[in-house]
Amino acid sequence: MVPKTEIEDEPKKILVVEDDILIRMLIADELRDLGFQVVEARSGDDAVGYLESGSHVDLIFSDVQMPGTVDGVQLARRVRVALPKLPVILTSGDGQPPDIGGALHFVPKPYEIFHVVALVLRSLGLVGGDDAP
Amino acid sequence: MTQPLLLLVEADLLVRTPLAEYLRQCGFHVLEAFDADEARQALAKPQVAVDVILADAEGIGENGFAFAGWVRANHPSIDVVLTGTVARTAEKAGEICADGPALTKPYEHRLVLQEIQRLLAARDRRRKGDI
Repeated sequence: MVPKTEIEDEPKKILVVEDDILIRMLIADELRDLGFQVVEARSGDDAVGYLESGSHVDLIFSDVQMPGTVDGVQLARRVRVALPKLPVILTSGDGQPPDIGGALHFVPKPYEIFHVVALVLRSLGLVGGDDAP
Repeated sequence: MTQPLLLLVEADLLVRTPLAEYLRQCGFHVLEAFDADEARQALAKPQVAVDVILADAEGIGENGFAFAGWVRANHPSIDVVLTGTVARTAEKAGEICADGPALTKPYEHRLVLQEIQRLLAARDRRRKGDI
């Protein structure tokens, strides 16, 4: 059971990029239950399109292997250049992706949701830890 | 009270996201699917008891009417609302909100439409450059 956390008045917005709807639904619902605003993208291309619209996000949680022209590592690289302070959490069942610097974190698949939630909270500085800004 | 569960099937993230947030403001629990295939995967989960499906009639990987027919045949208790243009989708969402649980005061669907159009225009402008 994930402990509920008090989120700031303005909910932080998390962009979840995952091509498996059942996994995406699970993580999105969990984050919404915690008070986050969640944007769901199915591919790196969708995520890039959302960022191109000028929409602000506070954190990206992305799978690495996805259909389309932009995978998770490529998405993280583009974010690293355009939005270097934006935290990115990558997840994969095929081992750790290359270190591209910036605020990049990694969660191996399969993962427990509470591990992801804990890393999200730390990355956003909502709880203490080495990843807090 | 359990929130009614609405499945929103729309391929464009910039259209789907504001609509989903709007419907959540109206008191629905909203699941988001990009296409008919994803919608079927969600509906196959026994714990996913959808009350209403709001789906684009085109652009969801197959004809929306065929998808609606499949839902009627396999999930007869689910209401299906098909939409066409973005404006029509926002209008239908407004109608659903008006008839929905209204746990919070719903806001005008035209504002949602304006936000969608703003996001789409901004994306098109920025497509010339990078993020």
